[in-house]
Amino acid sequence: MDKDEKFFKAMGDKISSRIDKKRRFYFNVKNEDLREVVDYLFKTMGCRLSTATGIEMYHGLEILYHFSDDDTGTYFCPRVVIKDKEHPKVKSIVPIVKGAEWIERELFDFWGIEFEDHPRMERLLALHHPQNLKEPMRFGRDS
Amino acid sequence: MIANSIPIGPFHPLLEEAEYFELKVDGETVVDIDMEIGWMHRGHEFISEMKTFTQSIYLVERICGICSTSHPIACVHAIEDIDNIEIPIRAKYIRTLVGELERIHSHLLWLGLAGHFIGYDTLWMWVWRYREPVLQMFEIISGNRNHYGMMRIGGVAKDVDPASIPDLAKIFDMLGKKMAMLAGAVKDDPVLRSRLKGVGVLSYDDAVAYCATGPTSRASGVRGDVRKDESTDAYGLVEFDEIVLPNGDVYDKLVLRVLEVIESVKICRQCLEKLKEIKGPILNDVKEISPGEGIGRYEAPRGEVFHYIRSDGSNRPIRHKVRAPSFVNIPTYTASCKGIPVADVLITLASIDPCYCCTERSLKVVNKENDPCLIDLLKISREKTERIRREINGSK
Amino acid sequence: MGWYNKRLAKSLWVFHVSGSPCNNCDIEILDLITPAFDVERFGLKLVGSIRHADVLLVTGIFNQKIAPRIKKIYEQAPKPIFVVAVGTCMSGDCCFKDSYNKVKKREDIIPIDLYIPGCPPKPEAMIAGVVKLIGVLNG
Repeated sequence: MDKDEKFFKAMGDKISSRIDKKRRFYFNVKNEDLREVVDYLFKTMGCRLSTATGIEMYHGLEILYHFSDDDTGTYFCPRVVIKDKEHPKVKSIVPIVKGAEWIERELFDFWGIEFEDHPRMERLLALHHPQNLKEPMRFGRDS
Repeated sequence: MIANSIPIGPFHPLLEEAEYFELKVDGETVVDIDMEIGWMHRGHEFISEMKTFTQSIYLVERICGICSTSHPIACVHAIEDIDNIEIPIRAKYIRTLVGELERIHSHLLWLGLAGHFIGYDTLWMWVWRYREPVLQMFEIISGNRNHYGMMRIGGVAKDVDPASIPDLAKIFDMLGKKMAMLAGAVKDDPVLRSRLKGVGVLSYDDAVAYCATGPTSRASGVRGDVRKDESTDAYGLVEFDEIVLPNGDVYDKLVLRVLEVIESVKICRQCLEKLKEIKGPILNDVKEISPGEGIGRYEAPRGEVFHYIRSDGSNRPIRHKVRAPSFVNIPTYTASCKGIPVADVLITLASIDPCYCCTERSLKVVNKENDPCLIDLLKISREKTERIRREINGSK
Repeated sequence: MGWYNKRLAKSLWVFHVSGSPCNNCDIEILDLITPAFDVERFGLKLVGSIRHADVLLVTGIFNQKIAPRIKKIYEQAPKPIFVVAVGTCMSGDCCFKDSYNKVKKREDIIPIDLYIPGCPPKPEAMIAGVVKLIGVLNG
């Protein structure tokens, strides 16, 4: 059985609205299941976390994680949707993937998404910015 | 134990770009390292969302001057991934040729700078001399030394002139010989060996945990090369080896880059041979991009470049995410810089070939009246291009 | 200051600062001091500290975070100092004119004496620019 079939079977109903493309899988994951899915992808399957993308939609904020399986060139992209635009909060995956530290700090910087249990929840690019930005950069983008 | 801190940057004599490090030291030994970036942030992702797809390609070229064709290739891959657009076979070889030439020039650049960082300027001057023919090849192929503007959605913008292929092959012959010599010299050099062996080790486990990519992780024994994994463009059609070295110190990273240059020369030669035979179009006409999302990636000289583009069916992306290889490689300093003396820190910082521009993504006015020097500059530049052209035609 | 400039022109020491460029101009500047172009024949030399420099070479659009630092560097420089701006970014924003993080006007931060346009300028263009600066200093 292929790696990806095995993964989707193991995760079962934790995964919804799956989109299959050539070597790319996009699927929705709930916030409370995120750590379990990431743990399976990173530790059991040996995927590498490429990055995470923050997107602002009408219905809220989206975080799209990109996990790359380097042996087959496949991308697994769990998508977490946050309804609350004012105070977005997600569980951090830094305890599982050490390399996610900067990625999550960048998301905090741009989109104001707060990650629970992150060891150092600070701005990344706008740290010590002379303008003393209080808000995430997504609000200041119109100027 | 009282740890003192040493600040490095934002402007430091050795660092080309502005970045800030704070070393916590106990005596001579580094205990901890803290990094601050953001001095180079220009807001590419936001600007790209205001531009059309075709304009975006030229914009992402300006993310970084050294990987200035890796970003466009990843960007066009992402757009082509939305609709599964196929490109003509000749365009595939041209893309691979330009991408590999860039790897050669970038690795040589790093090799020279690494020599400069350890106070070995002879290596620097020597290597950069051999880098110059590579830039001239770019001038022959694309018309510019850097920022080539070759990529388009569905193909490439400019064809390789068949008349120039023998000249290119000649330069590759020279490069191949010099690189073999350089590989031998670097491996045997007692200065490099004693200065770099066992310095700044990044272990296998750390490379995996920090999700490092490219030469940084391959020198630590982690397999992973986008060229082999995804085989986009002509990489499935040419022969080359993926180089993995076990030790993870700076010396291995240096040797790995030299060996990769030799592989790249091999790939370029195969591409040139194929370009002689294969005729045909270089650009597929792509009318519009349908709604959807696409991921494009490419093995830049520093590691995996990642572009994510979401389209809503208009001619602009609604989200364009760029992740440069240095963004995941820079945090590995936390692992590799601990426990080494302060003197070894700078070469360790340089060992991943960091590019902060990626990570964050003469006209005289002194005396305006009587000196039309803008015309002069253009004249000089044109004369040089003309000269190169003449040389090609003359040798034919 | 004519007599002073004349002596200065014999050997200009250059300090190079990158203020949010795309890195390409910086690499081409380094290229100038390697054997292929070798600007040391005009007495030009890259130095490690602004305190030793006669010419400040700047590249890039200045972003808001780096602008105060560049101002500081200019203030630390021994006067007279000549500011040379390399690249299209410095002369006209290049493709970053819509960026939210750039400063509005770079000339407010440091005065600029010489612009060398190009993205990146060819080494020949840079040499031509610097030679012209030397010519002006010689009067």
